[in-house]
Formats: sequence, C-alpha cells, structure tokens
Amino acid sequence: MELIVNGEAYEAKQPESVAALLEEMGIGGRPVVVVLNDEVIPASSRSTCGLREGDSVELFRLVGGG
Amino acid sequence: MVRQGKGQDAWIVGGHRFLSRLLMGTGKFQDAETMAGAILASGAQIVTVALRRVGRIPEDDDMLGPLQRMTGITLMPNTSGARNASEAIRAARLGRELTGSPFVKVEIHPNPHHLLPDPIETFEAARALAAEGFVVMPYMPADPVLAKRLEDVGCASLMPLGSPIGSGCGLSTAGMLRLILRDARIPVIVDAGLRSPSEAAAALEMGCDAVLVNSAVAAACDPIAMASAFAQAVEAGRNANRAGLMPRGGGTALGTSPLTAFLSVEGS
Repeated sequence: MELIVNGEAYEAKQPESVAALLEEMGIGGRPVVVVLNDEVIPASSRSTCGLREGDSVELFRLVGGG
Repeated sequence: MVRQGKGQDAWIVGGHRFLSRLLMGTGKFQDAETMAGAILASGAQIVTVALRRVGRIPEDDDMLGPLQRMTGITLMPNTSGARNASEAIRAARLGRELTGSPFVKVEIHPNPHHLLPDPIETFEAARALAAEGFVVMPYMPADPVLAKRLEDVGCASLMPLGSPIGSGCGLSTAGMLRLILRDARIPVIVDAGLRSPSEAAAALEMGCDAVLVNSAVAAACDPIAMASAFAQAVEAGRNANRAGLMPRGGGTALGTSPLTAFLSVEGS
C-alpha cells in the first residue's frame, strides 16, 4: 500500500494498522507521536487505527534542543 | 541577615513552583551521558527538548533516554524549526503529546543566519497557546513593548535573549532587559547568548528570575563542571540581588579605611 510517510512516498508491507506500520519501520517500541492526515493518533488507538491508500503519516520524537 | 535558605526562595511560573533558577537546554551535547551529568550538576528543574521527525530508519541514539529516567525534571518542548505561528502551534501540541508537559518554549526564528525571534509570529503563537492552556514561555527579542503584550495575552514568563542563540556574546541587551524587568509581573528569564557563569550571575543580580543556557554548557571543555559553575553563579547572582547592591559611586573613590593621619591618636 502506497503511503506518504514524513512527506515521502512509502510502500507499506504491513498496512493493517498504525501499530503494524511502526513495527515494520522498526520503531514500534520508540516514544513517537503519530500524526495521520494531520490528526494525532493516541498511542492507545494505534493497533485499531487502520490505514488507507495515500494516507499521510508523520512521526515525531523528542531530541536534544535548547 | 538577608540571605535565606534555598527553600524560601522559590519562584513560580504558570502556577508551578521551582527552586532552581537555572534552566538547561539539551542540544549540542556529545553524548547522552554527558548531557545527563550536566543537567544533574546544574540542578536544573526545567529542561528544554526539541521535536524532530523520525526517519524511516530509526537512529540508534537515545539522547533523551537518561533524561526521562531522572526525577524532578519538568520537560519543556520547544517549537524550534517552526517558521510561523501555525507551525509553532502544531509543534507545541505534538510536544505536549510526547512529554505530557503543559510547558512550551515558543521559539520562532525564520532566519538561520541570526536566529532572532520573529516578534509577530511569536506573539500570535503565544496568544493562541496560552488560550489553549499551555504554560507559554516565549523566546523573544528584548523588547519591553512586546514583553508587555506577551504578558497581557497570558504568557507564564518572558524569555528575552541576552544575545543571539549560541553566539556567546552575553548580555548585549542589558539596557532593554532592565526596562522589561521594571514593568514585568511575570518571571523574566534570559534565554540565549550567555557564555560565562559571570554573565548568568549578572542577569540574576539585575533582577532576572532565571537564565536558560545550553551552548555555554554543552560546548564547554568540561560540560559537567561548567554546569556546576553556572549553578553557583546563578545562586550568587540571586543572593546578590536579594542582598541589594551598594549605590554606584560617581567616579569618586570613597575609602573603606582611614587614609590620613594614621599615626595620630584616635579621639585626640
């Protein structure tokens, strides 16, 4: 399934849910916030939240900063 | 005796009480261990973090891991990278989602050459975020008029720059900071530009409530020792402010010891 991840085309092999996508990307256990089509998906909804062709997914995390 | 115990000298921002008047950034450290050590040595209770997109290939680094295991630390996500108010508002909401903290350092600096804060976008973002219930701490130009406007829209503190971010040029805005301090009814924190602990002490001496440093510690030869030095300087500056400085002389010396007739008999 073709998605837009962080603004770039991404071919998802496990598009069943947001949680599955994170696992596929190797960041399943990382503290990230998921934004699906400009809407924040709470961590508790990731395994039930499905994905559709062309969905835009953005992933953010905390880094060092002043 | 003017000096009082630390516990009696708390300051309050956005309804939250803090003892440390040194806020720390977490950027530019060479590794997570040094960063965590420096924060511990600084005694900081408010620590800033930034937000970035996660790449497809996860980075191995876990800079903030040790930080999130430390107790007594309030995380304050910044909106660095935002070029305007709407991007900053979005970043603030994501930061709150990631940290669970209501604090946000509004930081909008569209020009990478000087990184000076955009006063108009900063004001708009601060107004919107304060209305949403955030504890808004805006990084701002040292402008007394803007300071009053930011206070009026509900900011929890003012964070005027001492000099441009990372420049190490110190309190180049001292005159403007004094004008801000004269009228501010919310805490004033010098954010950015400091290089040495003596500058931090000077900021507290003049009446600032706190300072925020990052590069000055992270880029020091020994960041942990420098963090400790800043903590001492901030405490000294604060104590000096509370003690009250002597009046400045008009260029004329006033001796502290008898200068003449030292061989004459006292009372004769």
